Amino acid sequence: MKSLKRGLAADPNAVNISSKVFIRSAKSGRVQKVVREQYLRKDIPCSSLLCSACASTAVADANGVVPKFVLSKRPAGTKAFPDGHYLIPDTNVLLSGMDLFEESGHFHDVVILQTVLEELKNRSLPLYNRLMALTRSEDKRFYLFFNEFRSDTAVRRADGESINDRNDRSVRKAAAWYTSHLARVTKKPPVIVVLTNDQENRRKSKKEGINALSLRQYVEGLDDADRLLDMVSQGAEGQEGRALQGELFYPEYYSMTRIMTGIKAGTLHQGVFNVSPYNYLEGTVKVPAFDKPLLVLGREASNRSISGDVVVVEILPKDQWKVPSTQILDEDTVNQNDNPDNEEQEESVITENEKRALQEDVRRAHSAGADTRAQPTCRVVGIMKRNWRQLVGTIDNVSGSATGNRQTTVFLVPMDKRIPKIRIRTRQVEELIGKRIVATIDSWDRDTRYPVGHYIRSLGELETKEAETEALLLEYDVQYRPFPKAVLDCLPSEGHNWKVPTDTSDPGWQGRRDLRNILVCSIDPPGCQDIDDALHARPLPNGNFEVGVHIADVSNFVKPNNPMDAEASSRGTTVYLVDKRIDMLPMLLGTDLCSLKPHVERYAFSTLWEVTPDAEVVSASFTKSVIRSREGFSYEQAQKRIDDPTATDELTQSMRTLLSLSQKLRQKRMDAGALNLSSPEVRIEADNESSDSLADVKTKAQLATNSLVEEFMLLANITVARKIESVFPQTALLRRHASPPASNFADLSDQLKRMRGFELDVSSSKALADSLDQCVDPTHPFFNTLIRIMATRCMTSAEYFCSGSHAAPEFRHYGLASEIYTHFTSPIRRYADLLVHRQLAYAIGYEGGGNEIADESLRNKGKLERVCQNLNFRHRNAQLAGRASIEYYVGQALKARAEKTPGAAIDVEGYVMRVFENGIVVFVPQFGIEGLVRLEDFQLKNDEAAKRESIFDADGYTLTVFEKGREQQGVTVELFQQLKVRVSSEEKSGAREKGKRRVRIVVLSV
Amino acid sequence: MPLDTISTYAQTLLRQDGRRWNELRRITASISTQPSSDGSSLLTMGNTMVLCTVTGPREGNRRGQRDNTNATVETEINVASFAQMDRRRRVRNDKRIQELQSTVSSAFQSHLFTHLYPRSTISISLHVLSLDGALLVACLNAASLALVDAGIPMPSILAAISSGSVTPTDDSSTRPEPILDLNNVEEQELPFLSIATVSGHPGSEDKVSVLTMESRCQIGGANSKLESMMATGVDGCKQVRRKMEDVIRKHGAKVLQGRK
Repeated sequence: MKSLKRGLAADPNAVNISSKVFIRSAKSGRVQKVVREQYLRKDIPCSSLLCSACASTAVADANGVVPKFVLSKRPAGTKAFPDGHYLIPDTNVLLSGMDLFEESGHFHDVVILQTVLEELKNRSLPLYNRLMALTRSEDKRFYLFFNEFRSDTAVRRADGESINDRNDRSVRKAAAWYTSHLARVTKKPPVIVVLTNDQENRRKSKKEGINALSLRQYVEGLDDADRLLDMVSQGAEGQEGRALQGELFYPEYYSMTRIMTGIKAGTLHQGVFNVSPYNYLEGTVKVPAFDKPLLVLGREASNRSISGDVVVVEILPKDQWKVPSTQILDEDTVNQNDNPDNEEQEESVITENEKRALQEDVRRAHSAGADTRAQPTCRVVGIMKRNWRQLVGTIDNVSGSATGNRQTTVFLVPMDKRIPKIRIRTRQVEELIGKRIVATIDSWDRDTRYPVGHYIRSLGELETKEAETEALLLEYDVQYRPFPKAVLDCLPSEGHNWKVPTDTSDPGWQGRRDLRNILVCSIDPPGCQDIDDALHARPLPNGNFEVGVHIADVSNFVKPNNPMDAEASSRGTTVYLVDKRIDMLPMLLGTDLCSLKPHVERYAFSTLWEVTPDAEVVSASFTKSVIRSREGFSYEQAQKRIDDPTATDELTQSMRTLLSLSQKLRQKRMDAGALNLSSPEVRIEADNESSDSLADVKTKAQLATNSLVEEFMLLANITVARKIESVFPQTALLRRHASPPASNFADLSDQLKRMRGFELDVSSSKALADSLDQCVDPTHPFFNTLIRIMATRCMTSAEYFCSGSHAAPEFRHYGLASEIYTHFTSPIRRYADLLVHRQLAYAIGYEGGGNEIADESLRNKGKLERVCQNLNFRHRNAQLAGRASIEYYVGQALKARAEKTPGAAIDVEGYVMRVFENGIVVFVPQFGIEGLVRLEDFQLKNDEAAKRESIFDADGYTLTVFEKGREQQGVTVELFQQLKVRVSSEEKSGAREKGKRRVRIVVLSV
Repeated sequence: MPLDTISTYAQTLLRQDGRRWNELRRITASISTQPSSDGSSLLTMGNTMVLCTVTGPREGNRRGQRDNTNATVETEINVASFAQMDRRRRVRNDKRIQELQSTVSSAFQSHLFTHLYPRSTISISLHVLSLDGALLVACLNAASLALVDAGIPMPSILAAISSGSVTPTDDSSTRPEPILDLNNVEEQELPFLSIATVSGHPGSEDKVSVLTMESRCQIGGANSKLESMMATGVDGCKQVRRKMEDVIRKHGAKVLQGRK
């Protein structure tokens, strides 16, 4: 019998094969033993342009192309290494200092080892992606050296050696090889510098004769060191010397195995941690096991988690359950006097003031005997995923003077209220005060009260338009950089001179209907440049009407899978700020070639219906077309034209037809149970610097022509949604609005019932619409709108999805009361519409350009789901950014007004939206803002500036404010009450409010 | 997450196990490993190991399926439950395995001189002891060697290899980057095909006898990935055939020495 053993010794190649064996445990607890072959070789180049030996042995790819050598002949020098140097960073340096490596002036000629790259990818995928982007950029000169495959630098893990030690050793070995290799090929080789924050590793390197520096030591040797030093992560420092010292503020996290078993057994729960916008000490975690979110109260319970983190929580015993707080708590007001330097002296994680605030809660929960309302509380015992991102904020006033170059610790206060202050160390305090600053969180250890982070860059002076706009865009993750060249290369070469070909045999005309003779017009907001849609209506011989909605044919210009498509897909939507528009597509397309401007021929995608005079749709068809818009109206112009009895031309007649049809359509929709929702909307005309700024804040006027356009767009969207769903049952891109669970409305309906005796029926959208119509207060016409605004906030948000991921009954759009819905009508500013265009083009069998490769990507469900996810995210952020921009400008407008005419108070109507124990939230419709009113901001009779106190009736939603000892002269406010308020914009002392110009609201009288 | 080929290949031109695009894994083989069978072989390609035994030609046991003019080739593939990282229980009537079996059978049915053995059966039995990609390829190669060992006449040695393509994205503008002999990790990540050729008459080109592809891949167009994969694969088959011929010659020399 022969042996089955392979004769390894006999194989001449055996020396070159090693195998990598490791054990890996999956999240599910499964353990796998992985065996991989590794072929060791000698032809992996050092990639230095100095080295001719490697150049001669470099291997070409399948197409015969040899990769270019990367590391420069004359690398930059520093004070310590005047002859130039190549850098070899280890993983921890990259983890903590990626921002530094992205600096354009420094960190060139870097060798990224395979060992390091692999470890980095294991630790952080986003950082890995950023590093890969660096390695691809030509001017940074980053070289990927696969040291594990070069026989000279491959390292085997020794017995008993930890994986970290092995990796450190392989970094040192690679550095040693580079040093000796370069010394052999050139006379004056550049110095190889290993960057590592690990002291032990540096010591060993020194012993082996390798230059090793910590990131901080290295940066100190660069010019511009002060600014760069601030960017060195604090976490990296922490690793060096300081072991956790004495005082531990926070409890330790559970071990991963304990968490996993806990979650499996159902004793621990996982969810996203959300901090209340009104009270920074109160957070909620929504876990799948319970209907209502769990409360997390206080710093100790939230245990170093930051809003947005995915956390694991443990339910606290029932005697610790509490009622959600009715207090307004701002970190600024409670902890104004923390000193960032004196961290170590602090007694406990909870300051006295915070303790007092929490005490109130407990007292209330007990005294009210409100066991019925007490909610389960929990504490955080572990963190599954950190959601740390770059944060924009300002430096808190520095206590003590910072002199010269000395490093000082300061607090950075993020704009986002829900995120705690961050301790950062800087040498440039004076420059940073009064600026908008981008920073990131590095770590939050048990022994620091606040997270530790580092400075990244400064955006500019507070309250300057540029800095504030950029801050806003960063905060909402809007991509605002100019379009890269690859994208611009995808534009038509004719530029603005592009025209619809005159020759109808041109390939561009293929499959298009010529609708140039139809009287089409567009109706948009004034000054609109990116005109997505145009309309027409004309009578048919049988008494019916033909109605057409023509949408800009963007898919004709944006072909699938090219760089422009990829960019548009990642941007997702155009973002409208008050003074700026961040386009999804380059200007040339958005405002010219695609835009359905009047008097020029444009490609369009048309939806044509035959409708009866009663607005019943007889039939619908879709076609790509060429149109020539006769007029571009604004809403007001269109309204005037329609109302003008002397205008009897054909275009006006068709607009009148459209208007009457749209009103009938709207009625039908309302009868079906569509909701008439409200959100506080104001419009700001910002360009006019000279005019009285306040007059420029306008509430959006609703004209009949607004709803004219809206109705037909809705009709087009619904018709298209039906069509694409029939052709792509699994992969149609649709939009749904889930019916909100009745529990969302519980608070509002209770409030309405107690305060006004109205019943809110939320059983269906029709019932809700009807009961909202009932909520009328004859003395306060705005009351109904207020309720609608509040009801809107109780609903879920609409989302894009791919038809295969939900069952057909769940396609429903709750707000519009439509069985199916999608977005088709704004392809210039929404990527979803563009995709829907492609799907529709395929569905109608359009054969023209751009459709050849579309097929595959339109049917790829996984890809489409990812796109939807991104679109939903971008869409939400764009809305938030737009709102924040308006808020900022309202503040600025008020400020300008105050500067111009000091003393002229702005007194307006306000409505109470929420009542807290120590303040109320007031909504001011005229400016579309809502603001907190604290006890101090109530104007009382006989004000003696004594300490304010209040009586809060949680069940009656009333708050009585009075000065200490003078209950009789108190002022009582209740929910939904109309108040006279004085609005002013003032700079608050807290750093958070700074620059944002929070509007201050003072209650004048009741 | 471990590194992947696509993101780093363009810069390093190295695959995840340190090979270049046109390098095979180490192939070792021996024949006549199982004296009890008519022909046998043990073949390894990297960490994939396949044991093959051939029985026959012998009188077919199933009357109904007997072919009056040719021998029938039957194949049975058995992937050991310990062959991969996760211990897998064998599923009976695994459709994938059945398809592989019929692929191997039909490849040899048309390749061997079956007309010399009418009304008889040649059974190929393949045992996959360890699997790291290239399942079909290793089975074809092992069977090829075992059939030689069994002394069944054939015009040339059938040799197989897999080839794949590294391309950054779906877009068709980049030039294709073919790679040869994928291991399991690469098979998970990249589109690949399995190809087998038989050498033609001296002077004429090799002929493709097996070609299967189960992944999505651009076929037409200017930078066709399929074409480059096939061209690379045909070259790879030549390399494999040379190695197999070496094994056979060495074995033959040993046998002759034993006779003396």
